Amino acid sequence: MPPVLTASPVKTPSDRLLALGASLYLALGFGFLFLPLLALVLFSFEASRLPTLPWTGWTLDWYHALWADGRLMVALKHSLVVSPIAATLATILGFLAAYTLNRFNFLGKRLLSIVMIVPLLVPPLIMGVAFLGLLSRVNLQGKLVSVVLTHGVILIPTAIALITIRLAEISRDLEQAAWNLGATEWQALIRVVLPLAWPGIAAAWLLAFTFSFDEFIIAWFVSGFEPTLPVAIYSFMAFNLDPSLNAMGTIIFVFSILLLVGVELLVLPMLLKGRQQPGSEAG
Amino acid sequence: MANSTVKPTKAPNDASWLGALCLAPAVIYDTLLFLLPLIFLVWIGFWTVDNYVMVPGFSLANYSDIFQQFFSRSRYGFAMGQSLWVSATTTLLAVVLCYPFAMALAFRVPARWQRLGILLAIAPFWSSYILRLYAWQTLLNQEGLINSLLLQVGLIQAPMEIVFTQTGTRIGLLHYLAPIMILILYLALKNIDTTLLGAAQNLGANRWQVFWRVILPLTRPGVVYSAVFAMIISLGDVLSGIILGGGTGRSVFGSLPLFSTMILNEYAASTNLPRTAALATLLIVIMVLVLLVGNQFSHTES
Repeated sequence: MPPVLTASPVKTPSDRLLALGASLYLALGFGFLFLPLLALVLFSFEASRLPTLPWTGWTLDWYHALWADGRLMVALKHSLVVSPIAATLATILGFLAAYTLNRFNFLGKRLLSIVMIVPLLVPPLIMGVAFLGLLSRVNLQGKLVSVVLTHGVILIPTAIALITIRLAEISRDLEQAAWNLGATEWQALIRVVLPLAWPGIAAAWLLAFTFSFDEFIIAWFVSGFEPTLPVAIYSFMAFNLDPSLNAMGTIIFVFSILLLVGVELLVLPMLLKGRQQPGSEAG
Repeated sequence: MANSTVKPTKAPNDASWLGALCLAPAVIYDTLLFLLPLIFLVWIGFWTVDNYVMVPGFSLANYSDIFQQFFSRSRYGFAMGQSLWVSATTTLLAVVLCYPFAMALAFRVPARWQRLGILLAIAPFWSSYILRLYAWQTLLNQEGLINSLLLQVGLIQAPMEIVFTQTGTRIGLLHYLAPIMILILYLALKNIDTTLLGAAQNLGANRWQVFWRVILPLTRPGVVYSAVFAMIISLGDVLSGIILGGGTGRSVFGSLPLFSTMILNEYAASTNLPRTAALATLLIVIMVLVLLVGNQFSHTES
């Protein structure tokens, strides 16, 4: 689709055609992106087992079934233990590393910043096999803590990246002023840098939490008899394909809307900074 | 403070103990739990299993076994081919479909609505991937909503077979990839200095010329990043291939599983970790080759 550039006052027919095409394409694209989410929410309230039309009536049965069955709820609890801890672990390690990478110059710094991103490039499938291999040698496999430890690895890179973006925006003068006023480096880090870096830290935590909460394959390999939610859903699907899954999907989606509000307030303003038209609100 | 000049990092106690102390936890963590497992993975690929117990050693048994049935019985070679084919076509599809979307968003939507637009575009990413695949399965299967609607309207005479084919796999992957690719491409497009576009127009370039000669070359790194990202995710994903592809989904090459699905299922069936590790090591080799090719592409530009 050809672009349109600066707004010219004269609208030619081809301009209008292009505008129409772009709008249609956007509508189609959003339709594709939201169709499964809509289906998930809608059919979680439908009385019939089969998620097809015509509509047979509203029900909350599938939510009750979800609650009564228990397997997915237990797994949800596991995930709600694993993901916050893994996200917190990764965010703390990520913040500290980002601080050093941003603040100090040292030999091999560039190389190290690249190397720290590598865990993101290795597919979780490979990491799953690798983690299981190592953890089973030290008897750490098949526990929730195994999932926490392994998720930490894949969450650190994004935490470093997001927090580094935020740290780069903070003026170094502020930290130096704190030193000049007698603060130790540690005090300046905790009392000056940390509060200023807060939006980046929160954004990193949210992203890490989401990654961990949705991560399937590593958890499948290492979680054993304490499955996280995606792993439990996967085994559940092998036997029952019923709208309880829709109900669980709806619960997660509502939950993720809350996260999204957090992201809207934290991540996007950082990424889009300086790319907005003057006059539009700034985060 | 906005106009403070960039200072060299020279400060009291430059490169102090604090810097090393802050960096150490992440470096130690990654060494113990990233580097070590990967080395270990390659290593146990050479181990064997005796009576369900792993036997350390150095044996090429796993690899010779895998290569012996590369094109027979387990047909790992065919699965690799299927993986590369599905991943490459998915990547191409994703770039070709997401680029115009990002462009329409970046150039056509009024500035004050763009943030909402990009927020909505990445919304699916924040919901459960496995449950989105489940939703697609209910929508796309033979009695699903999409087939029954199209049948009723009369657009098709018989239900389309999408689920349990690699087309299904591609749709699932595309739905996973699209939000992130749209974000990457949108940011790349917004980085373009718009005065360049005006200048090209003033010099008499038509829209296609502006697109092919200015916009596309300027966003090339974004395209390469998103394509490499799509390729890596597609090669490593198992869920879409199982839930929508049905494990051994049909493509133009026939009903063959993806290599990733094969790794998962082999381990589930045998719990033979050394052999799984050998298969995973082969997947690493493929990935590295893909990355090298991608790197080649991103460098030719400059």
